[in-house]
Amino acid sequence: MRTVDAGAWREEWAAARAAGAHYFDFLTAVDRGDRLEVVAHAVDLGTMDRVLLGTSVPTRGGRLDSISPLFAGAAWHEREAAEMFGITFAGHPDPRPLLLRASEGAPPLLKSTVLAARVAVAWPGAAEPEVRDDGRRTGNPSRRRQRPPGAPDDWLEEGP
Amino acid sequence: MSADLPAPSQARGVIGLVASACTSCMICVRECPTWCITLDSHTEQVDEPGARRPRSVNVLDAFAIDYGLCMYCGICVEVCPFEALFWSPEYEYSEVRIADLLHDKTRLGQWFETVPDFEPLEAGSEVKVKKVPR
Repeated sequence: MRTVDAGAWREEWAAARAAGAHYFDFLTAVDRGDRLEVVAHAVDLGTMDRVLLGTSVPTRGGRLDSISPLFAGAAWHEREAAEMFGITFAGHPDPRPLLLRASEGAPPLLKSTVLAARVAVAWPGAAEPEVRDDGRRTGNPSRRRQRPPGAPDDWLEEGP
Repeated sequence: MSADLPAPSQARGVIGLVASACTSCMICVRECPTWCITLDSHTEQVDEPGARRPRSVNVLDAFAIDYGLCMYCGICVEVCPFEALFWSPEYEYSEVRIADLLHDKTRLGQWFETVPDFEPLEAGSEVKVKKVPR
């Protein structure tokens, strides 16, 4: 993958298309923490040469020029990336949400977005076999309470 | 299992429970990525002849797997240190009501009855130490 400047994203794709990469394959994004990596792939069907370009935008309020005016097929991919990662694609011909009912709420594929199901449901692993019915622990009382694996430390605070 | 469509013996169809082997250690419940396992237990003091103090034993009250949430990753089967969970190739347990996909301790014990013996692995592969208790 060749990494390009976010500001040169559309020009790079215009050049790739002019060079023969007419077939748009995909566009997607990856949450790398403080940056979102945006990747797109196109193919020259005559030579089967592939073009894989990547760029990065800030995780919050990221903006990128839309390449849908170059590749009509990119429109859906950009709409999906927009609602899932919160990226704004400037110059998109039809920026309506693609899969989600409304654009409100946190973009679901950002790693900082907490799954609603993980908040609404108590973690079954919080139960301790060594806590007796009277509330006294028979095990080592200094042991730290268990937390769900992979859950960030600052959410799923203990209930009553 | 449907006679005309037998699944391979190592297929991940459903998970069977050996309740007598379970120590309520909670490892499967805590490792499950979809939070589909629930376990309830209590501790009993068992007096043993010759012992100075009674021994604490975890007694399994309830164990359930919600197959409406399970993604068949098999992590629970892998992490169980007491060989209480096993894959069975049985797969025909679809339900009209999604709540009926919650299989309790009794049902999971019945599934264990369908767990086949492990087939010998291909020559040269690592010998599987897990043995199906009979």
